[in-house]
Amino acid sequence: MRISEQAKQLCRARILEKAAELFSARGFDQTTTRDIALAAGVAAGTMFNYFPSKETMAMTMVNEALARGRDEFLTRLEGGESLEEELFLLIGSELRRLRPLRPFLGPVLERSLSPFPRRNICREGETARQEHLECVRHIMERHGFAASPEDVSCTIYWSLYLGILASWTGDGSENQEASRALIDYAIRTFVQMISGATRGGDHVR
Amino acid sequence: MSANAPNRKGIEARAALLDLMPRQEEDARRRLAELVESVAARRPPTTSFSRLCILGSLQAKVTCAYLAYWLRSRWADADERERLKSETHLKAALELLGTMGYLRGAVMKLGQMLATFPDALPDEFARLLPALHFEAPPMHYAMVREVFLDEFGREPHELFASFEKEAFAAASLGQVHRARLHSGELVAVKIQYPGIARTIEADLKNLRLLMQPMRLGEDWGNVVAKLAEVERVLLAETDYLAEASFAQTVRDSFTPEDGIVIPRVYPEYSTRRVLTTEYLAGVHLEEFLATAPSQELRDRYTHLMTLATMRMLYRTHWLLADPNPGNYIFMPDGRLGLVDFGCTRQLTEEEWQVQVEVEEALLRRDEKEMERLIVKSSLYESAEQMGRERLELIGTVIRWQLEPWLTEGIFDFGDEDFFRRGMEAMAAVTRKGFMRGMPVHIWTTRFVLGARGVVYRLKGRCDFQDIYRRESGRNKAPA
Repeated sequence: MRISEQAKQLCRARILEKAAELFSARGFDQTTTRDIALAAGVAAGTMFNYFPSKETMAMTMVNEALARGRDEFLTRLEGGESLEEELFLLIGSELRRLRPLRPFLGPVLERSLSPFPRRNICREGETARQEHLECVRHIMERHGFAASPEDVSCTIYWSLYLGILASWTGDGSENQEASRALIDYAIRTFVQMISGATRGGDHVR
Repeated sequence: MSANAPNRKGIEARAALLDLMPRQEEDARRRLAELVESVAARRPPTTSFSRLCILGSLQAKVTCAYLAYWLRSRWADADERERLKSETHLKAALELLGTMGYLRGAVMKLGQMLATFPDALPDEFARLLPALHFEAPPMHYAMVREVFLDEFGREPHELFASFEKEAFAAASLGQVHRARLHSGELVAVKIQYPGIARTIEADLKNLRLLMQPMRLGEDWGNVVAKLAEVERVLLAETDYLAEASFAQTVRDSFTPEDGIVIPRVYPEYSTRRVLTTEYLAGVHLEEFLATAPSQELRDRYTHLMTLATMRMLYRTHWLLADPNPGNYIFMPDGRLGLVDFGCTRQLTEEEWQVQVEVEEALLRRDEKEMERLIVKSSLYESAEQMGRERLELIGTVIRWQLEPWLTEGIFDFGDEDFFRRGMEAMAAVTRKGFMRGMPVHIWTTRFVLGARGVVYRLKGRCDFQDIYRRESGRNKAPA
């Protein structure tokens, strides 16, 4: 018997929902795929057809939240924002959507977004990187900067962004307000750097 | 730094660091002013408060070490070459401080206080004024929007009929934007820098760490108590709801006939991090002075400022712990606006009792009782323990502070001789390192210094005793 696409979607959503509950309640590392399958009422084998690992589950939630955040960012744009402000708004909107997942995000992001080469790269982690950078590239283009995903400025941007995520996931201050100052600093540093680069830099004569 | 610099010099240095007050001799003050200017003029490339987060306490420690080095060496009668070297260190320290944390605020406040006494300083200092009064680490509008979402769950333009994206003034912990309510009123919206309370805590922790190894001797306990006091008041300042409640108390103690306006608070648009009050039209001290106001007008505002502070002191036992020119709005109709009640301190029952006893002894001209009270408030058991020199110097400062209480008729706060005597007495106390006292005196000193600085610049006069008698309810003329 073939199950319908709708039933598949419902099953997938149920797995994600139960996984999120368990991750939040027990922590990411303390939750096993067996626990999730049990809670979602599916066989472990069936669950692996949807998600090959719990990292994939968590990163799927992350990517969905980030995508919603980016949509929101576009609706919040008023026009007239500086490059710094647009980037700040983008990251702010994304993080606001990520906030419900924050309790268990630390180990998830550490594994899936690590800049160090890993044997089992989580595809969803790479998706998160590409989609975020794509949005950043559009913003930069709007402000007259060219950037390709593999160039130096994108690499540096991504390092700063990972630093922000790392700080934000562990930020115990109310509304993660301590990270807000860090985001501001990181963005200004980045914009200052690429602005300097477009002028050729001091060492290039 | 000369090798035989006695420990006493270190105590002076620490005292100066603690109070961050401009009490050094004029020459040093001028150089310091130049350094502050050079730091203030060079706008840091990033939002200053954020730097502390990324560079963390390491930078703060380096900064404090620099500053300590400078403070130690500056008092050490160093020769010219040494002096220049130590100034290089100070410059580095100031530049670091200027990029980080709440200590940037302290650097700015130091500048503000220096700026209140321009006659004692060369012309170049005057150029500092606008930069220091309204130069604060900026938040761009995107950041303001995020703060609003956290605080209200709504964006500024959803909350207000209109909201100016650019701040019109800096506040000690944030910035102020003009906005209009849907009901039509023009309001001032003060927004706090994210994470500032933590920054204050970290800064003060660093300051304590810095001071720990400097062997403060007998006064160390007192310094710790004072730092705790500073931290308590500064952290209280980060709670805008507390400020709103205080502003309401003050507002209730004035009537329209007084000519003093305390802006109304809009609680529905206020949280711990955002404070919305009525917007008062008018100008600050500098702009007011630029209009070459008549003596009559200067006297009127001096009268109103004295009345306002007296009423707060005698009715609510509160001090404006950091009165600076930015607190006063000279309104077009001749009324005085009082804004920004963030940095305030209520006297405890015991502290108030000392205040009352000092006034009574003073008005009775009871020198013996005055001496007893000076010893008590300097936290000594007896005059012998306190020492004659310390007793006399502290006595001079306290008597200067209280001089208007003893003067019948019009008191001239613009009198240069009076002002200089006070500054000199305080400088002498600082040079000697006689800083021991009740922690509340950090604020009473700032209160008197700040307020006297403003009325001095105003060259204003008023019948101080008459206001005092009315406000304190002590109607009898002194014997």
